[in-house]
Parts: sequence; structure tokens; C-alpha cells
Amino acid sequence: MKTIRICCGTGCLANGSLLVAEEFEKKISQASVDAAVECVAKRTGCHGLCEDGPIVTIMPDNICYYHVRPKDVDEILEKTIANDTPVERLLYQNEQGVKIMSQRENPFYAHQTKIALRNVGTISPDSLEDYLAADGYKALKKALTMSPEEILTEMERSGLRGRGGAGFPTGRKWRTAAGYDVFPKYVVCNGDEGDPGAFMDGSILEGDPHSVLEGMAICALAIGAEEGFLYIRDEYVHARRSIKEAIRQAEAAGILGDNIMGSGKKLHLSIVRGGGAFVCGESTALMASIEGRVGEPRAKYIRSVQKGLWDHPTVLNNVETLANVPYIILHGGASYAAVGTGGSKGTKVFAMVGKVKRTGLVEVPMGATLRELIFDIGGGIRNGRPFKAVQTGGPSGGCIPESMLDLPVDFDTLKKYGAMMGSGGMIVMDDRSCMVEVARYYVQFLCGESCGKCTPCREGLKQMLAILTDICEGRGRIEDLDLLEALGETMQEASLCALGKSAPNPVLTTLKYFRGEYEAHILEHRCPAGVCTKLTSFAIDPDKCRGCTACARACPVNAVAGTARHPHAIDAALCIRCGSCREACRFDAVYTEGRDLS
Amino acid sequence: MQIAKEEIMEILQAYPQEQRYSLAILQDMQRKYNYIPREGMEALAEYLGCPLSSLYSMATFYKALSLKPKGEHIIKMCDGTACHIRGSARLRDGITRLLGIDNGETTPDGLFSLELVNCLGSCALAPVVVIDDTYYGKMTVEKLPGLLDTYRRGENT
Amino acid sequence: MKITINQIPCECERGESILQIARRNGIEIPTLCWHDGFPGQGACRLCIVEVIEGGRAKIVVSCVYPVERECEVLTESEKVRRQRGMILALLRKKAPDSPEIQALCERYHAPEIERFLPETGSRCVMCGLCVKACGELSVGAIATVNRGVEKEIATPYHEPSSACVGCGSCAYVCPAGAIPVQEMEDVRIIWGKTFSLVHCQDCGRVIGTAEELAAAAKKSGQEPDTLCADCRKKMIALSFRHTYGEIHR
Repeated sequence: MKTIRICCGTGCLANGSLLVAEEFEKKISQASVDAAVECVAKRTGCHGLCEDGPIVTIMPDNICYYHVRPKDVDEILEKTIANDTPVERLLYQNEQGVKIMSQRENPFYAHQTKIALRNVGTISPDSLEDYLAADGYKALKKALTMSPEEILTEMERSGLRGRGGAGFPTGRKWRTAAGYDVFPKYVVCNGDEGDPGAFMDGSILEGDPHSVLEGMAICALAIGAEEGFLYIRDEYVHARRSIKEAIRQAEAAGILGDNIMGSGKKLHLSIVRGGGAFVCGESTALMASIEGRVGEPRAKYIRSVQKGLWDHPTVLNNVETLANVPYIILHGGASYAAVGTGGSKGTKVFAMVGKVKRTGLVEVPMGATLRELIFDIGGGIRNGRPFKAVQTGGPSGGCIPESMLDLPVDFDTLKKYGAMMGSGGMIVMDDRSCMVEVARYYVQFLCGESCGKCTPCREGLKQMLAILTDICEGRGRIEDLDLLEALGETMQEASLCALGKSAPNPVLTTLKYFRGEYEAHILEHRCPAGVCTKLTSFAIDPDKCRGCTACARACPVNAVAGTARHPHAIDAALCIRCGSCREACRFDAVYTEGRDLS
Repeated sequence: MQIAKEEIMEILQAYPQEQRYSLAILQDMQRKYNYIPREGMEALAEYLGCPLSSLYSMATFYKALSLKPKGEHIIKMCDGTACHIRGSARLRDGITRLLGIDNGETTPDGLFSLELVNCLGSCALAPVVVIDDTYYGKMTVEKLPGLLDTYRRGENT
Repeated sequence: MKITINQIPCECERGESILQIARRNGIEIPTLCWHDGFPGQGACRLCIVEVIEGGRAKIVVSCVYPVERECEVLTESEKVRRQRGMILALLRKKAPDSPEIQALCERYHAPEIERFLPETGSRCVMCGLCVKACGELSVGAIATVNRGVEKEIATPYHEPSSACVGCGSCAYVCPAGAIPVQEMEDVRIIWGKTFSLVHCQDCGRVIGTAEELAAAAKKSGQEPDTLCADCRKKMIALSFRHTYGEIHR
């Protein structure tokens, strides 16, 4: 019996994997395959290497195909399924030009350790049977034989810390909530993954929904909750559908609902659809949103484990945190704690995107270095350009320069350098990314996403944006840099919630590690990366240009003139400085220089 | 657009009369009409017995809700970080140049609306443009005019 | 239990906010979003103080920070003054036309930052007191609109609100004089809506708008007031005297 796994994660779906899946299903049902070979097509969650999707794996042969199109289906069925021969052209080709058969040998996967993502990409998220076959709900069954105290002890032993970014010890959070004798209590899953450039939680919700439900059920047993909510981001259509179906299946099978596995215990879970507000990733804002109010955070001097939803004890955990829980209960806290570093146990999932060669979703033990992630797994920078910075932790995080690439990634190390691991977004940048513009981008993002309640965040961001825009457009003054730092300090110290407190991080870290770039903008009216349009002009080096016409075709305003096989030139009067020509050029002939602002 | 009261009541009555359902009800209206009609908001205030101001506050706070009718095709331009550093700003300018609309605006003929969104979780395909739930990955300024034309000609509806 | 604020020993209950304790002991902490009727919003952040607990110092917001153990509070430490000054400078930029904010800036030595020099513009500092007052005392006619740096306070659709009764509670609690109320002989104009004023039948003083009195009457299930508070007391006293006679000592 062979299984064809077709990745139907958001990335592969966008690449057209649904058509591939339908084609496989159609062909198999038509029995066009050799009847001697039994096979089944399975739609799975994200395989991780979204860049090279749609991805198809054939089990048990463990052959992995990339960039699969519907027209490839016949060949795969005929060669691989019926005759055990690989389709060479669909295999992964490594840097040395060697074709790689299995996923495990692919450098992207070879360095990974999968715990949270253990089932994502291998099981069909729509199938409860698949999940059960992968040891699903065994942890819940075990937890039903344990006392709440035993569950809490196991969680504490695991050393698991909240994967949403704050890193609060999960076991301790549960214990505090368990200690209050106020009922009802609630368990909430934070699926409002909002960091731009991060999609770990979405992939888990989509690809292994039952693991999250199982984690919530175990939490509910430990703290004594009978009702729970999954707050899922508005944009995550597939994830909501997947969770909805999983809840229905689990209730129908008697795993959730009025009588959990015949134990007489109850747990009712429902989905709350997010409203499209980044600040709702903040626990107290999320709870306000579930209650049907505007998502404004409140001061957390009284924690939500004591007074959360409707002022009742509430445990709120992130998706990835919850997905780790069944593993911990089933295999023991000690086995989980054996992975990772002293202060950060287990693994972490990262969404590695940007200018890196192999973009996608990766899970590594805590403490892996940035270099291992970006170069060993990610394969380094695209198009042979130099690495410049990596941004971790989204709008709350910071930009880390090359000199710090050997730092281990965990909860505590990056914080010492003004950045943070955050929820796992990792955006890799090359020399064509402007650090001032990146800082401006995050501040602009937060200007729209701040709830607007407290002064330092609302007004501080507004002024920061004005200053950064001035710098990007050549109106900056050198004393602005000190002002940015002073504003940043006030926002960190005096803002109400974590959004505001961490909002200046992208600005402060770029100022710290890339100050020269700010100074070039201010003092020389030059954007070294050639990104800030007001400070950049584009030109073509006639010695390098081969006259391939790629730039002329890419130019949206016909500002590039020239004939084939002769050097081209850019008409500065027409040029809108979008940089399309530079992106299109394969000979590095398009260069940028400063602009005369007068 | 004339909106039937019965239609609105149908949306409301799918939920108990409790504040916690206000966001879900508003989202259902948004899905049905592509915006939140004033009649809907007023009916909801009455249904829940809450001030209109608190619903208006929510409708302007949550970006999934809109008070203005949207165009026939909604272009969602991802401006998440991955898309941003792979040139989403170029695409945005391109759309503005081609259609004369910026974020949150609708073309006078009512055909297209442009929405800048934060991250659609398809960062590996950056930059991403989504038109009516169809994803277009690795989008370029060069490909935009042709893509929009297919919608103008009604090939994708 | 006992804490010290600026070295002054203060008695307090567990869970009380630092701001409450300071006020009771006559120690001044500036604030814009605090009102005795609507405490603990934590929005303006002017009331930050430095708390030293177990040897560790941290900045907290005194209006919502509950005292749980003995600690030392500094309301004017170097750090507090620096952050508070920056917050005031930001507020002055936001609400340049408010004399109240200008006065606070002077009193707490907000830095003169060239970029933040006031232009002309609004007076609102987005403290949220008006929304609280309207929601809890009156009818909930106003609320915050939008979010982030665009957030403002307004009536639905920015139109005169059908719910508003013109009671003026919002303007009364506003610390920055940002809600204009025009009052002429017989009318009051607020939030773009004109209300007719009702005068006390006895002394002729304004007792409120007709809508406000009707709303109050509906809540209490009685006829709308026709007398001002003073004249009503007088009337009750008279009827008491009529019933029980003069009291002689």
C-alpha cells in the first residue's frame, strides 16, 4: 500500500496544489494505476519548504517531489507508484547538482527536529483516524488517569515556555490557574498569529488541528475548565475550517464534549474568528475581543490566570505551545527537557522568509544558532548576495547583524542584545534591504495596529514615523537619532502592553547595529541599499551590461532604453526608482547612487 | 442598495442576544454585504440592547469590518515583512498607477478595491497578491497589467 | 500595611493603588485619565512612579498598580521625571490648544524638543474619561473610533447622535477642555446637536436639557424634574414641616 501525500498547506495551495491533489484523486479512482499496487492520495498540511511547492511525497518509499504540476501526475503514478522508479526531474537538486530522493537527505530537513510539527505534513488534517494512528489522543487518555497535580508536575518538569514570544513557563501558568477556586474557568488558544512574516501557528492549526485540541483538553483537566475558545486570525480561512472540522469529529467520537472519553468530564470548545487586529495577539486584548468588545489591552498587574475572560481564571496559550503538550504528557516532561538549552527547553518552529534561498517552516532544538538556521537549513542568501541582517520577533523584535550570527536562538540570549526570539518569524535580509526603511516599515505597521489607548505607544509611534519618514526622504537631522532613542526609552518604560513596550525594538536595534546607514541617509542624502526612492537614482554600468533587455522588459514605465546586445541606459526623468530593473538584471549591471536633492 | 430588514434579522437571530456575539454578527454582515450597512448596525444595537456607539467603535477598530461598500473584485496586497522586502511597495505603486486607487479605495467603476493586508502566511511566495481568494505568488510589476485585464474581461469570475 | 512614598510612611490596604494612597496622604502625582468616579484606566501614563520592591526598581503606572507587599515609591525620581517629561511633550504636540496641558508641561518641566513644538490643533489627549462618563452615567452616545494613531472620540458616523441627551457629563470630566459646549439662554449645543434647556420652576436656574431630564425620569420611573436640586430640597423640607410640624428644641 502506497500513500501519496500532497501538501495542501497555505503556501502549496497558493502554488496550485489543490489541482495536483484533485488530479491524483481522479486518476486513482479511475484505477488507471496498475491494479496490483494499492495506493491512496492524502491531502496533508504544510511540509515546510513552501518555496518549492507543491510538494508531493510517496510513502513508504520516502520519495519527495517538488514543483509538481497536474501534468506530472500520470508520470508519477506510472513510474513511482507502479514501477518504483523516481521521476528524476521532480527531485530536489542540492548545491552540488546531486538529485536527492528522500526528504530526510534534503539539507532543509536534515537539521530539523520535529516535535510541535510532528504530524504536520504527514497526516491528513481532516482525518481523525490518521491522528489516532499517529498516537493522537493517547496523551489525553493518559492524562485522564493522572491527577491534576501529576499533570502540572509533568508540565513543569518539561520546562516548556510559552511559544507566543513572552516565554512564560507554561506549567507555572497552569498551576496558578489551577489554584483559584473560582468557576467557571476557561482555556483559550491564541491563534491570532499576527507578526508579518510568521506562519508557524497557521500551519499547525491547518496541518494538525487535533494536537491543539488535545493540548487544550489536557490543560482543561489540569486546571478544571469545562469551556474553551480558539481565537483564530481572520485571514486564516483554511486554519478555521480545519479546526472546525476537528472539533466536530472529536465531539462525534466522544473525545471532546459532555463526556471526555467516557470519564464524565466535560470540555466544550468553540472558535472565535479574529477581527483583523494585531493587538489582539496581546492576551488581555484578545479576551476583550472574545467578550465582544474593542480589543484594547488592560494593565496586567492582576494576571489573567486570576481574572481573565469575564473576570474568571483563564489560561491562554499559544498554538505551538499547546501542540507540544500531548508530546510532553505522552513521553514525559524529562524527555522533552532533554532537548534544548538550560533555560529554553524543547524545540522552536521558525518561519524563515525573505532573501534566504530556501524559505519555509523549520523546527529546530532551542539553542540552534542563527547561522545554522540561515545557512545550513536555509542555504544562505539568494542570488549569491551578501547577508546583511536577520529580523527576528516581528514588530517586537530587532535586526541582528552578521557579527551576531553565532548566537544561539532561545528565549534569553537575543534579549540581551535588544532583539528577541519572539514567536518565530525570521526575516533574512541582504545588502539590498535598507535598515532605516525596515525600521520605518515596522513603525508604520504599528501605527496602524496599536490600539491607540495609551499615550507613549500612540503618540510615540506617530512621532517616530514622522522622524523616520523624514530620514528616508532626506529631511533627517542628526539630532533625530538621539530623539528616536529617547522616545524609544519612554515607550519601553511607560507603555501599557507588550505591543507598545516592544514597539521601538526595530528602531533601537537598527540604530545600534546599523547607525552608519542612518547617518548616510541624513548626512550624505544617500540610501546605501538603494531602497529609499527619494535618495536613490538608478544607472546601468555599460561595461557590465550585456544588452539582454531583461531590465527594459521589467520597467513598468519604459524608462530603460537600448537595443538588444548593446548597453542599455535609464532615463532619469522617466524613472520612478522602483528598482524592478535591478531585480531583473542577472549581470549586476544596475547600480544605485545618491540623488541631488537640490 | 436596498437591504431587507428580514435579511438582517436572519443574521442576528442566528446568535443569542449577548454582547460576546457582536463581533461574529458584524462579521456575518460583512460577509453578506461586503460591508456593514448602517441599517445592520442599528438593528444590531437594538437586538443586543447596546449603544450604537460601541458597535461603531468596533466596526472602525477591527480591520476585517468595513463601513464602505467594496468593489466587485478585492485585491489584497500583502505587505507583510517578507513581501515588503521582496518589493511589495513596487506592486502597490503599480496598482495605484494602473487603477488610480490606493489602500482602502475602490475604482469609480466599482470593479476593484485595494486592501493592504499584513501577512497572508504565504511568505515563501513573496510578494503575494490575492484577488478574490486566488493567490498570485512571486508577483511582479510586469505581470500586473495582464492579470488585472483577466478580471476586467470577466475571465476569473 | 505600610509603604513609603518619597520617604514618607503611608498606611494602606493590600490591593490599593499607589495613586489612591498618595492622594490620601497629600502627595501629588499628575494624571489626566483618573477621575474619582472612573478610576484606573491606565491610559495617559502621566502617573508613572518608580517602585522599589525587594531591591529591584521598576516603573509602574500608579493608578492601576496594586500594592501587594511593602515597597518604596518614588514619584519624582530622575527616571520618572525624564519619562513623564517626554509623555507631556508628546501630549502637548497632540493637544497644543489646551491650556491645561500647557500648564502641566510647565509644572513638570517637559523638555522643549524642536520637533515637538506645538502647532495649533486639537485639545483632546485621548484620556477616555468622556467615554467612561457617557457610558456609565449617561447613554453611551460617544465612543472611541478607529485605532492606532488615528484613534479619536466621536459619535457614530460623526453625526449628531440620536442617543445623546446633552447632559454634558463628557465635557464636565474632560481634563483638557476639549469638548466644546455652547450654552445660550434656552439652548445648549454639544456634539453638533442642539438641546432646549429646562429651567427650575422656582428659581429659574438651568436644571438640564429636556432630553436629559426625560431620560433620567424614564430610568427612575418618575415624572421629569421641574425643580433644581436646591429648590427640590426646599420643597421636601416644606412638606416635612407641614406633616410633622416645626421641631422645637
